[in-house]
Amino acid sequence: MVTISVQQEDLEELIQAKLPADLVALNEILSQIKCEATRVVSEESGVEELNLENKDTNRPDLWSPEGVARALRGFLGLETGLRGYRVAASSGTSIKVDARLEKIRPFIACSIAKNVRLTDAAVRGLMHLQDKLDSSYGRQRSRSSIGLYEYDLIAPPLRYTVARPDEVSFVPLGMNDQMTLKEIIAKHPKGIEYGHIVERNSLWPILLDSKNSVLSFPPIINSNDLGRITPETHNVLVEVTGTSLSTVLNALMMMTISLSDRGGRTYSATVHYPYGETKKAVTPVFKTNRMKLSHDYVRDVLGIDISVSQTIRLLGKAGFSASKASSKAFNVVAPCFRLDIMHAVDVIEDIGIAYGLNRIEPQWPPHETVGGITQQHEFNDLLRELAVGLGFQEVLTFVLSNPEKLFTRMGLPTDTVVELQNPRVQTLTCLRNWLIPSLMEILSSNVHVAYPQRVFELGDCIVRNGSEVKEVVKLAGITCHAEASFTEAKASVEALATNLGLHCQIAEVDHGSFLEGRAASVSSGDKEIGVVGELHPQVLENWGIQNPAAGFELNAHELRLIAANH
Amino acid sequence: MTELREHEARTLQAVAALGKSSRSAQIAAQTGLDEAAVMRAALVLAEKGYASIRDETTLLATLTAEGRVYAEKGLPERRIVKIVVGNGGRMNASEAAQRGDVPVEMLPIVYGWLKRKGWADLDTTNKTTTITASRLPDTSPDEKVLQRLSGSPEIDMSILTPADSAQLSLLRQRRLVAVHERTDKVISITEEGLRLAERGIAVRSEVSSLTPEMLATGSWRQVRLRRYDVRAPVAPFWPGKKQAYRRFLDELKWKLVALGFKEMTGPIVEAMFFNCDALYMPQDHPAREVHDIYLVKSPQYADSAPFARYLQNVKKTHESGWTTGSTGWKCSYSEAEASRLVLRSHGTAESARTLVSEELQIPGKYFSIARCFRPDKVDKTHLTEFNQVEGIVVGEGLMLRDLLGVLKRFAVEIAGADKVRFNPDYFPFTEPSVELQAYKDGIGWFEFGGSGIFRPELTIPLGIKVPVIAWGLGVERLFMMKAGIDDMRALFSQDLEWLRKQELA
Repeated sequence: MVTISVQQEDLEELIQAKLPADLVALNEILSQIKCEATRVVSEESGVEELNLENKDTNRPDLWSPEGVARALRGFLGLETGLRGYRVAASSGTSIKVDARLEKIRPFIACSIAKNVRLTDAAVRGLMHLQDKLDSSYGRQRSRSSIGLYEYDLIAPPLRYTVARPDEVSFVPLGMNDQMTLKEIIAKHPKGIEYGHIVERNSLWPILLDSKNSVLSFPPIINSNDLGRITPETHNVLVEVTGTSLSTVLNALMMMTISLSDRGGRTYSATVHYPYGETKKAVTPVFKTNRMKLSHDYVRDVLGIDISVSQTIRLLGKAGFSASKASSKAFNVVAPCFRLDIMHAVDVIEDIGIAYGLNRIEPQWPPHETVGGITQQHEFNDLLRELAVGLGFQEVLTFVLSNPEKLFTRMGLPTDTVVELQNPRVQTLTCLRNWLIPSLMEILSSNVHVAYPQRVFELGDCIVRNGSEVKEVVKLAGITCHAEASFTEAKASVEALATNLGLHCQIAEVDHGSFLEGRAASVSSGDKEIGVVGELHPQVLENWGIQNPAAGFELNAHELRLIAANH
Repeated sequence: MTELREHEARTLQAVAALGKSSRSAQIAAQTGLDEAAVMRAALVLAEKGYASIRDETTLLATLTAEGRVYAEKGLPERRIVKIVVGNGGRMNASEAAQRGDVPVEMLPIVYGWLKRKGWADLDTTNKTTTITASRLPDTSPDEKVLQRLSGSPEIDMSILTPADSAQLSLLRQRRLVAVHERTDKVISITEEGLRLAERGIAVRSEVSSLTPEMLATGSWRQVRLRRYDVRAPVAPFWPGKKQAYRRFLDELKWKLVALGFKEMTGPIVEAMFFNCDALYMPQDHPAREVHDIYLVKSPQYADSAPFARYLQNVKKTHESGWTTGSTGWKCSYSEAEASRLVLRSHGTAESARTLVSEELQIPGKYFSIARCFRPDKVDKTHLTEFNQVEGIVVGEGLMLRDLLGVLKRFAVEIAGADKVRFNPDYFPFTEPSVELQAYKDGIGWFEFGGSGIFRPELTIPLGIKVPVIAWGLGVERLFMMKAGIDDMRALFSQDLEWLRKQELA
């Protein structure tokens, strides 16, 4: 989910049509491009805005008001076919790349947009697009990061080079004083956030013009003097640096076409590399994507009977250019900004949407199949039925737990369990390997609720033995009231066993959670299947429970196997 | 002379003796009757004008599980100060946190309390905070209250001083203390009742219970069995029953079985391969980052045997599209990453396992109710652990029309919808993707599912040559609407009273 904010008026200006004022009606239109809008008052501007939640995380072309307008024009029938973008001419600007960047941040691309018409809303839109492209598409600026500049303040040619951390200083965006690169990493909010990207190298990237003015310290921050875009800016220079050439070129293309949609004429720049196969690269690149699409495949995927000409019309509505290649195939061209088109199915989905999903007649699949649940689940349900019959209330608890709950509070030495590398809270750090602690927690949170309390759960436990991880379904129950004792718990276990047609052996064991002489293992034949016992007063005290309690825990998987072989 | 039955007379005398007004429990203790008998007698007395009954509510405070830990180990700010003082009075905050067993993410809260209580000075430079504290502070008022609470299971809040009450509400804000209500029946004697008690009461001799002995000897013929007030309240009885949400999932399970779906299973501790890679989610996809998926600390890697046969196909598909007709993600693919163990973050992992299972039948319909895990902050609308209901339909010739048919059937049969509509949707592993919206009278439109046709980049590398429809249902919301709850945490409710009171019909 990617969220952007746009102003409805701005969007209407870009689309050149009115959109419904009613949110439900507006969302019906927006749902076609997988967006949902809510109305909010912007904290930045105090103006009412639309918050657009975009479900498709693979469509960076929809992360700007220009992009949303572009897509909507097709669906509203205002524009059909391929929207093309082209370079008007060369700007004459060149960028010389320092050889030492090859192992640091090797790629740069640049474009210039002239005579752009910007408003407050447009500037905010560009900033948001830049931010989303940097964070999501550019993977937190590691793969790519974008800088925008007032072109008229810059003296080309540019030099993309490196500097020692204390060698260069400039005024970074949002600050008043000169800072060295090192100070920026230490003190500037963006330096603190993204410093780790450059810090592993001793030389850091820097972009300079011919007068040695700093444009930016990529991928951290732009210059406050040159890198500030306002509604008064007419000529914009866009620069993208990064570690992946295709990501860098695509990010530049996205920014450039947004500026173009704002009236800008696009001019290219030339990058001179001292490394790699391409020594001289002209950017930006607007590359369309051509593919052949079979008419049968379209009909097979969608299940609708549409003609060749109808398909071509729908492709136009979805923003593709399409022509008949043969009686059974189309030539389809996807616009440069549709980075999500990887396979024919991506185009076919758009045909389906343009046709209207709600116009397609639903059909229950004709294949005959037989339903069923697994033997284990069928057996689990039987166990639950018996536990309910014994008077236990079923509970549902989390598999996530922590060692303190599983062992310390249960009077046991800490055992090996499956632990998480990135727990979200201290109370959920590992997976439980037994169920009784989950039930103790329930009793513990209900000390003021009427007794007797009898609770049970049938649930997953994850048992770890070195590198071996085994998932076991267990059944556990606890009875807690003034007269609760080992005898009651044992009677429950025997009632369960009898109803399953099993004969169980009960043998005394030492178990830290239970009273000495009131704890027993439960086994059938030579298989140990569980434990039953009266909770130790120390354990009850640990949980803040002031009534005696006794419980059992049985391995449901083993129980089923024994019952099946009986 | 007015005649009362024995229990009524004993109750009336007890109320008079206890000072005109008493709780039912006190009277029960005084008379030796059980509470239910006292209440039955009190109702008769009230009807005759000798007594009145009212409810009295008491607020009781108890420690939460976290509160108990703190009562025992000390508040985190106390633990930090203790470490700092023990270390000579000055120390790096995160080190102190580690030694004091205080999670680092709690530090901002601890700072707040240290400042508020004036226990230590803080100094932050370069993102590193140093704590200075010269001496161990005296026990603070909130700690005193905490200690007092740890000494008894619950405390009547009305007996607290205003100062202690204020401390208690601070502890409540920190979620260390929970407050609940207890309602008692208080029985008071009326003027008329008092006069009667003073005058003396004639007790009618009666037997309350019929015994086996009376039946054996026939002595029941000689005694008078007391008449009951059949309207009198009885003690509640809580039967054993299934957990309401689980019961709902059971019903759902059988509905799916009836529609021809077979249950599929898979592990909670899952390899990235099945959770993401095989689902054509690129290895640097944002949904695979630490804030969206739980990584297992140890063991870190799964045995690759269950997916070794498919690993190269999936790798080539990610890198270049392989033979799927796709361009692929054009990014490099690490085989080691495929074995990385995680907690299953969505039920679709089970679908991937089913597609490579030897037991897969084509055509086939499959479903699962899978426990899934995501490192989300738990609130009204998010759980870190939840159940997903998902499934697939595998078969020759399946199309978008069939997908819509499956969705429509689910909406009608499972959600009881009056009508449905479909919106475009997005999942990394399906194309086309469809969102299911269901309409119910009285509720309106609501989102009931996400679905799609599995991408060829998913099916072909796993050796599946026919289309696969994949679907997931928003059953949590459906249950919440049915049960009339708006907090998702209630699905895993620890509140026994709530669980007991859940209506099944």
